[in-house]
Amino acid sequence: MKLIPPAGPNRTWLLSSVAAIVLSTGPALAQSGAELLTKTCGDCHSVGDDGALSRISGQRKSPEGWLMTLVRMRIAHGAAIDRETEAQLVRYLADTQGLAPSEAAPYRYALEKDPDTVEAFEEPIASMCARCHTGARALLQQRSPDEWRTLIDFHVGQFPTIEYQALGRDREWYKIASTEVADWLAKELPLETKAWTGWQAADKPAVTGDWIVMTDLPEGGAAYGKLTVAGDASPYSLAGELRLSDGTSAPVSGQMNLYTGYEWRATLDIGGKTYRQVLALDGDGGLAGRQFLAGQDSLGGRLTGVRADAAPRVLGTVPEAVQGLSGDVQVVGTMLDNLTVEGAATGASTVNDFGARVTLTAETQGKAVLSVGESTTDIAFYTAPDRLTVEPEFTIARVGGGSDVGPASVPAHFRAIGWLNGPDGASGTEDDIRIGSLTAEWSMTNANEMAEVMRDTEYAGTLDPDGLFWPAVAGPNAERPFTTNNAGDLTITAKAGGLEASGRLIVTVQRFIDPPLR
Amino acid sequence: MKPLNQKADRVLKAAAEDKMDEVRAMQTVTAGCATTFDPGWEVDPFGSVAALCQPMEADLYGCSDPCWWPAQVPDIMVTHPDWDANATNAARDWRALGTVFPGDSNT
Repeated sequence: MKLIPPAGPNRTWLLSSVAAIVLSTGPALAQSGAELLTKTCGDCHSVGDDGALSRISGQRKSPEGWLMTLVRMRIAHGAAIDRETEAQLVRYLADTQGLAPSEAAPYRYALEKDPDTVEAFEEPIASMCARCHTGARALLQQRSPDEWRTLIDFHVGQFPTIEYQALGRDREWYKIASTEVADWLAKELPLETKAWTGWQAADKPAVTGDWIVMTDLPEGGAAYGKLTVAGDASPYSLAGELRLSDGTSAPVSGQMNLYTGYEWRATLDIGGKTYRQVLALDGDGGLAGRQFLAGQDSLGGRLTGVRADAAPRVLGTVPEAVQGLSGDVQVVGTMLDNLTVEGAATGASTVNDFGARVTLTAETQGKAVLSVGESTTDIAFYTAPDRLTVEPEFTIARVGGGSDVGPASVPAHFRAIGWLNGPDGASGTEDDIRIGSLTAEWSMTNANEMAEVMRDTEYAGTLDPDGLFWPAVAGPNAERPFTTNNAGDLTITAKAGGLEASGRLIVTVQRFIDPPLR
Repeated sequence: MKPLNQKADRVLKAAAEDKMDEVRAMQTVTAGCATTFDPGWEVDPFGSVAALCQPMEADLYGCSDPCWWPAQVPDIMVTHPDWDANATNAARDWRALGTVFPGDSNT
């Protein structure tokens, strides 16, 4: 379970105004973007003396935040915005009124649709914002004091029962929301920040060219390869190939939009399946984020990358650990001619297009450190794991399908993670060595007495041999007491290497509103 | 009003003592789930599913009409007045309840 700390980055008030400096689109497109915004939105939003549109000019957001605003204008207010105009406006607004990398950094899990993150905000955000949606959805915004206050009033108008729910009716909700919370947000997340001013003025990272990447595919396991980005502006073309753990290769092709100079959003085909990438350039030749199936975004994995022409960098190894004390591994990275290994002997070593292929041999169970320059990665050597954990230790799945228009089911993917005790010989301490994902025997049981009574294991879904849980169909089930849904509360157990560990899975009902930021 | 569980009892006592800020009357669920529990959408007051209003289709509109889980379920009162147009009886017509965020709007 990844717990998100309450504190965001420190932010500084600046007296300078937020100038609409365009990042990657150039002056000509900036002009047309501003004109398109006025033309599309100006019927309702008034133009001030400075040419700024009311409401819009007082906010900065992620690309997803702007997209959700535009979609809400269409759905709730009948704005006639076609898809092409919507795409152009998201690009223009994210470029001119986006978030600096440091402003988005604490909350990337929400942009990435990470299915396993559990937020742990303190007040006032916990009960004011995060009781209905992610706290991140609120905190991935920067607004003027007036705009934060207006956002509170918007919530009252759009969702009037907000004051009648628990934590609404039992306190002076509106007073707290419109004063304490609005003031807190205005102070913590102001429109004008040094971070944004600095990012607008900074040189932006190059995106075209070759990228070495590694990731984890839902059904293919560890994968690495090369992606080539081509084009003059968004949408850029993406093409390349991934090497899969079974020795085969999968072709990759698609398109990528680059927002705000660093937000990489791609839709691509990998071996016949459609994936999305939500990544960020790190400004130092690196790339990181999450890649997931477009139709089932709970299934995916972390993706890291480095420009092939960047400074030497190692991303990781495939496999991620050596079973037994000797084996060949692919070290994924770039410029690995001077790769050094500490903790294992190096045999044959060959630099290749994706890093280097090396033979590593260790004397005992433990880890080796692979380094190139300042960049390092660990690799474990093991014969028998000391400890097993299940990741995620808690998550949810959702029933779905059974309908042409309703939500698809939301599966959950569990992995059995092996560990060594490390130098201190004690389990669960800081020096434990992570082996990584192990092949396991999976089973599920009812998590509690009520689940037993309701026979949840028989109805909630199925668990396949790879730890993938597939929820049952949506809708009332006449076979169950009260015709209840195929919801369930399950314990998911992995057995590997004579060890056993469990995670918990709540199988629950559909969500009918599924925006890019939940 | 009588509290049904320990958490509700703490909420009542805290409200009486003007200490609501100290109470996290919410459930711990993965990010993006509703954490209110009166009633909950994804999980019940006990962090499980057996005490949810189930099947949820049985009295869905009684709660979703007035925006009880406005980030998960379309509210018919204000934002999505036609969501139930083809499903006047949710328990019978649940297959006609669609998702509302347009699938072809993406970054």
